[in-house]
Amino acid sequence: MHAESFFFCCCLWKCVCVRRRSTVASLLRRRCANCFDCPCCMHTLSTRATNIPAPLADDPTKTTMKKAYYLACGFCRWTSRDVGMADKSVASGGWQEPENPHAQRISKLIEYYQQLAHREKQERDRKKMARRRQCMPLAFSEKYGLGTRLQRQRPGAPISALAGLSLKEGEDQKEITIEPAQALDEVEPLPEDCYTRPISLPEVTTLRQRLLQPDFQPAGASQLHPRHKHLLMKRSLRCRKCEHNLSKPEFNPTSIKFKIQLVAVSYIPEVRIMSIPNLRHTKESQVLLTLTNPVENVTHVTLAACEEEDPDDVNSTAKVLVPSKELVLAGKDAAAEYDELAEPQDFQDDPDIVAFRKSNKIGFFIKVIPQKEDDSDVTVTFRMRHDFRNLTAPVRPSEDGGDAAPEAIWLTHHVELRLGPLAP
Amino acid sequence: MPIFDGLGSGGEKTAIVIDLGAAYTKCGFAGETGPRFIIPSEIRKPGQQQATKVVQYNINTEELYAILKEFIHILYFRHLLVNPRDRRVVIIESILCPSHFRETLTKVFFKQFEVPSVLFAPSHLMAIMTLGINSALVMDCGYTETLVLPIYECTPILPAWEALPLGGKAIHKTCFVSDLQRGLQIQEAKFNLEGTAERPAPPPDVDYPLDGEKILHVKGSIRDSVMEILFEQDNEEKSVASMILDALVKCPIDTRKVLSENLVVIGGTAMLPGFLHRLLAEIRLLVEKPKYSDVLASKNFRIHSPPAKPSCTAWLGGAIFGALQDILGSRSVSRDHYNQTGRIPDWCCLSSPPPESFYEAGKTPPPLMKRAYSMEK
Repeated sequence: MHAESFFFCCCLWKCVCVRRRSTVASLLRRRCANCFDCPCCMHTLSTRATNIPAPLADDPTKTTMKKAYYLACGFCRWTSRDVGMADKSVASGGWQEPENPHAQRISKLIEYYQQLAHREKQERDRKKMARRRQCMPLAFSEKYGLGTRLQRQRPGAPISALAGLSLKEGEDQKEITIEPAQALDEVEPLPEDCYTRPISLPEVTTLRQRLLQPDFQPAGASQLHPRHKHLLMKRSLRCRKCEHNLSKPEFNPTSIKFKIQLVAVSYIPEVRIMSIPNLRHTKESQVLLTLTNPVENVTHVTLAACEEEDPDDVNSTAKVLVPSKELVLAGKDAAAEYDELAEPQDFQDDPDIVAFRKSNKIGFFIKVIPQKEDDSDVTVTFRMRHDFRNLTAPVRPSEDGGDAAPEAIWLTHHVELRLGPLAP
Repeated sequence: MPIFDGLGSGGEKTAIVIDLGAAYTKCGFAGETGPRFIIPSEIRKPGQQQATKVVQYNINTEELYAILKEFIHILYFRHLLVNPRDRRVVIIESILCPSHFRETLTKVFFKQFEVPSVLFAPSHLMAIMTLGINSALVMDCGYTETLVLPIYECTPILPAWEALPLGGKAIHKTCFVSDLQRGLQIQEAKFNLEGTAERPAPPPDVDYPLDGEKILHVKGSIRDSVMEILFEQDNEEKSVASMILDALVKCPIDTRKVLSENLVVIGGTAMLPGFLHRLLAEIRLLVEKPKYSDVLASKNFRIHSPPAKPSCTAWLGGAIFGALQDILGSRSVSRDHYNQTGRIPDWCCLSSPPPESFYEAGKTPPPLMKRAYSMEK
């Protein structure tokens, strides 16, 4: 699987999908425009405001309280005032990252080399055209051709070819020359007090702090400036073969929709305990349970006691006798309570087993014989088998052309009920 | 400083420039003034306490592949935040990098991340691109070793290379506590010229807090004497300073004057305070010795200061080169070419390639080639 990426912002700033060519500079920098990182401890800085007296614009003698903002770290108590950054009058957008002092020289260098590179490309194109037109004997051209190619295409010595080019006549491009760097005779030695001055460690930056600002790498903590916070990224995954989207995160966490369709609660009949009589050791008692049908079609449920060697059956402390006949549950009908003319369905319930029936719910009895006499809760287990129809699956047109109802699948579940302690 | 990427001169997206060092990796975009991130070259597996180093030359291919894959993955998806398939890659490498490592790295890039093309750029050559000059004697003081390579008129003089395993790692080994000490040294290392009669009083001790609970007492004498291993001459009378002179001696006579007046020092270990000053002083001291004074005519040594920190200079050169979109494509090894041939060209590989392939650093193989490691094919 390979990954395709887009950005997601740390502070839920509105972000733009980067598949389009975006020219928002801060997004291209992969850094948030608003948030800063503390240079000491790398946590996010918060903007704090103070009131400072400042002279009014029209009347210098009177002073009024103006708001001034500064950055502060909640974790290590670093503030932007420590490095001498002036307070700004706007809450966001006022702070700039310091610029690299060599930036101009570097851009000049790049321009110069780009010019040389352009010339090399032109030469190469020209030679290619010339070569095609010439027809030389094979051996000669191979020797000649290979030589020039070797000479020209040496990626490891790029500048050899670049420096050898000179301006041809007829080219009226302005030549950009560059001053080569001047070497220095003397290097600044260590300051004398280096040997005797005791170091105060809080003022010296650690390697990690330094390397967070590769352009400057300041040695003193008074020069550590905050940088914009680095963005995180979410990756969407696609299958390499069929380009199908496998996982695709959302821009905003609040817009994530719950897309799971097959939640168990909405398909499996629910068993609830309705009333428990006094349970006595080795005495049979009847417990009333209810069974609710969550789906809209009629469901058939069969209960069975657990087998001897059932691996799930660890906790039962009582014997249970479940009704052996199949229980039929009516479908859930949302409009039933409003529809007074509906015929009540006739299920012919056995009154020993089924206590009552109400729309999609029935109450039934099970007999419980507690086996253990200790203080723990009486637990019964049994197995429930019911039919399940997957109505969310796409219905395939069957071969005889009719509308086939989804097939019923019989599922068996292990049910465990805790009935509470024995009666004293 | 925000640079508009995505709209380079040729309409291509800007390339990624990665400098995989033994201790730290610098990564960022071409055309910018500095790397975006400098991160330690190691990966942390969930179960382990110790981080695994990425740049290892002695492990087998599969392990190396897995480690490199994970590391490059972190680079792309945690730090650079780009799609690997869109952008060309420029890798800054040391000339002495073993072929096995290079090939595994290329395989990771092409097979796993499907980058469009890869260019291996030698670090020394890239360093002089930041200066706008054509010749220099470049010394790279890195973590595992220090490597000197003279470059004259944009061509490396390969026979004159010098290397010594003296770098940040050597300093680590002689100290009892490893990388804390290194960080300390980088912050506070002092030098004094040895050879003076009595040892000057050592600088004051420092109490360095460790993990908030323990305090590490660093004696002053340790602080200044540890760096001396870089400058002490061992049995062969080689030290970091003598390497420069030895390399000069090996160069053709005509080039020596130009080279000695254009020294460039790059690499993280060179960022120690006082390093450059000491280096120049040592060179000037050593050149008086009969071994060198008979051979070297010019005693004039000058040193450049590139427009970037020494640890990022090679990266910057790669970034400048990566910004040249006109030729970057033609000089890189493309994915199609790699899929066809299954290997990348290497400067030390003598097998004659098909006409469309590209050579790496240097001319067609120089006659005298010294190999530090045995290159496996």
